[in-house]
Amino acid sequence: MPDPHGHWRAVINSLATPILAVILATGVCSVALLLVGHNPLAAWQALIQRAFLRPAGVQEMLVAAAPLLLAGVAVAVAARAGLWNIGIDGQVLVGALAAAWVGTTLEGTPRILLWAVVLVTGVIGGLAWVAIPALLRARFGTNEIVTTIMFNYVALSLTSWLVKGPLRDDTIVAPQTAAIPPTDRLPLLANTRVHAGVILALVVWGVVTWWLHRSTAGFDIKATGENPRAAIHALIPVGLVSAGALLASGALAGLVGAGDILSTKGTFQAEWNPGYGLTAFALVFLARKNFLALLPAALFLGLLSYGADVMPRAAGVPSAFFAFYEGVILIVLAVFAWQPWHRKQML
Amino acid sequence: MNVEVVLTALLTAAMAGSIPLMLAAVGEAIGERAGLLNLGIEGVILVSGLAAFWLVLETQSLGLGLACGAVTGLICGLGFGVLATRGRADQIVLGLGMTMAGLGGTAFVFREVWGSQQPLLSIRSWRPLDSLLDWIPVIGPALGQQRWPVFAAWFLVIGLSSAIRRSKFGLQMRAAGEFPLGLEASGASVEGVRIAAAALAGTLSGLGGAYLTTVELGFFSPGVSVGTGFMAVAVAMLGQRNLLRVALFSLGFGMLTGLDTALQLANVDARPEFLRMIPYLAIVLTLVLLGRDAKSPAALGQVYRGLAGRR
Repeated sequence: MPDPHGHWRAVINSLATPILAVILATGVCSVALLLVGHNPLAAWQALIQRAFLRPAGVQEMLVAAAPLLLAGVAVAVAARAGLWNIGIDGQVLVGALAAAWVGTTLEGTPRILLWAVVLVTGVIGGLAWVAIPALLRARFGTNEIVTTIMFNYVALSLTSWLVKGPLRDDTIVAPQTAAIPPTDRLPLLANTRVHAGVILALVVWGVVTWWLHRSTAGFDIKATGENPRAAIHALIPVGLVSAGALLASGALAGLVGAGDILSTKGTFQAEWNPGYGLTAFALVFLARKNFLALLPAALFLGLLSYGADVMPRAAGVPSAFFAFYEGVILIVLAVFAWQPWHRKQML
Repeated sequence: MNVEVVLTALLTAAMAGSIPLMLAAVGEAIGERAGLLNLGIEGVILVSGLAAFWLVLETQSLGLGLACGAVTGLICGLGFGVLATRGRADQIVLGLGMTMAGLGGTAFVFREVWGSQQPLLSIRSWRPLDSLLDWIPVIGPALGQQRWPVFAAWFLVIGLSSAIRRSKFGLQMRAAGEFPLGLEASGASVEGVRIAAAALAGTLSGLGGAYLTTVELGFFSPGVSVGTGFMAVAVAMLGQRNLLRVALFSLGFGMLTGLDTALQLANVDARPEFLRMIPYLAIVLTLVLLGRDAKSPAALGQVYRGLAGRR
C-alpha cells in the first residue's frame, strides 16, 4: 500500500539523522573535554557567545563557511558519480599557489579582470592536480581514492618547495609569495567582514546544484554513480563521465584555493594547509549527499571552524579539538547510514 | 664518495623506517582479505603512537610502550570491526572519520598535556646482531644497526603469514572477503570472522604506530605519521593482500623514504621537498604499472546482510 505521508517522512528522516548525529557527537566530545579537565558546558557556552552574540561572530562564521561550502560541493559532485575525491587538500593548495603567483604578476590590471584571471588560474591549478588521477582512473581504472590521497602529500611538498624557492618574496623573512595588495582583493560587503567570495560561493553552489539536477550531463553523472552497468547499457560513456566528474570536483577545489588567496589570505605562506578535505567529507555526509542541505551543513561547520579559531583564547580549548569533533561526527554518521528505526522500509 | 657506505646507510634507514608502514600494510591486507577496507589506520597509528609514547615517557620501558600501542590498536580495530559489521557503517566514511578523529584527537591531547613542549625519549635498546655480521658487505652492518623490535616485527609478519595460510581461520577470513554467503552457509559467523580480522589488523597498525614514536623517532608531534596509514592501504593493494609480498613492498618503499639520509652521505645536493615527494609518487606509479591485473576481494567494502537478506 502506498504511504501517503512517505514524502514528509523522508524529509523528517533526512533532518533527524544529522541532528541526532550531531547531538550524539557533541555528547561524546563533551565527555572527552571533561576527561582532559575542561568544563564542557563552559566551552560550548563560550563558543555560542562568541559566534552569535557578537555581530563579528556571525560574519566570521559566514566567511569560514564559504570555502567549506565550495569544498563540499566539490566532494559531492564526485560522490554523485560514485567517486571519492579525497585529494581536495592538494587541489586547494595547487590552485591557491597558482592563483597567488598569477595575482602578484598582474599588479595594475583593472580589478575585475584581475579577479577573473586569478580565479580562473585557481580553477586551472585544481584541474591540473586532479587531471592525473582522473586520467589514470579513466585509462587504467586506477583507484582514485589512493591516487588522490597520495597527490595531497606530493602537493604539500611541491608547494612548500616553490614557496621557499622560485616563487618566494625575498623582501619578507618568512617564506611566502608576494602579497596581493588588500585593495586588489575581493571587496568587503557594507562595512562587514563578509567578502564577495561568500556571494561567489553561494552562486557557484546554486549553479552547480541546478546544473546537476537539470542538465543531461548531470543526469549522466547520477546514472554513472548509481548504476554504472545500467549506464553503460544506456550508452552513457561511463569512463568519460567519471573522469569529467573528478575534473569538475578538482576545478571547484582549485576555486576554493584561489578564493582564499583573493580574500582572507592575500599570499601563500609556506606550510599553509587549511585541510578542507576531510571537513568537506563531514559536510557532505552531514547533508546526506543532498545538494540543498549542503548550505546549512556548511554554516554549522563554519561555526566549528570559527570555533577552532577563537576557542584557544576564549576557553583554552586547543583548535585541534574541533577536528576531533568533526571526526566523531563522521563516525556517528557512518553508523547512522544504517537506520535501525527504519528497518521495515529497508526490506 | 664511498658507495658501500651510502648503500649501507640506505639499507639501514629502509629496514628501520619501513616497519610502521609494513605493520600497518600487513594489517590492512588482513582486513581487506576479510572484506574490510579501513581508511582509518592513519588515525589508529597516531592514537597508538601517542599512547605508547606517553607510557614509555612515564615508565622508560620500551616493551610496555609497544604493548600499550598494540592494545590501543586492538581496541580501535575492534571498534572499526564492530561498527562496520554489526553497525553496518559505510566503511569509507567510518575510516575517514577515524582518521580525522585520530588526527584531531591526538593533536588535542598532545597540546593539553604538553602544551608547546616537545619531550624526547632516550631509550637505549638492544641490537641483537650488533657487529656480528659485519663481514657481509652492506647487508651485515645494516642488519647490525637494527634494534630488536625490527626483528620482532619481521618474525611476527612471517609467522602470521604462514599461520593464516595454514589455519582454518585464514580460510574463513578469505571466505569472508570473497564469498561471505558461503562462509555463513558453512556455519561460521561472517561478522565474527570480520571483527576478529579487524582486531588483528588494528593490533598490527597499533604496533606500527608505537614503533614509529618510541623506537624510530623518540618523539610525538601532531600528524607525525604523514600519510603512512594511507600508504599502507595502497601497499596492501599492490601486494595483492599477500602478507609477505606486502611486507617486501613496504621495505622497498622504506628504501625511498630513507633516500634523504643516504643522499646526504653521498654529498648529493637535493631539495628535501623533492625527496619527500618520491615515495608518494612511486606508490602511484607502481599502482598504475602493477595494479592493472590486481583483483580486489569480491565483497571488499560491502556490508554483509546475511543469508536471504534477513535483518
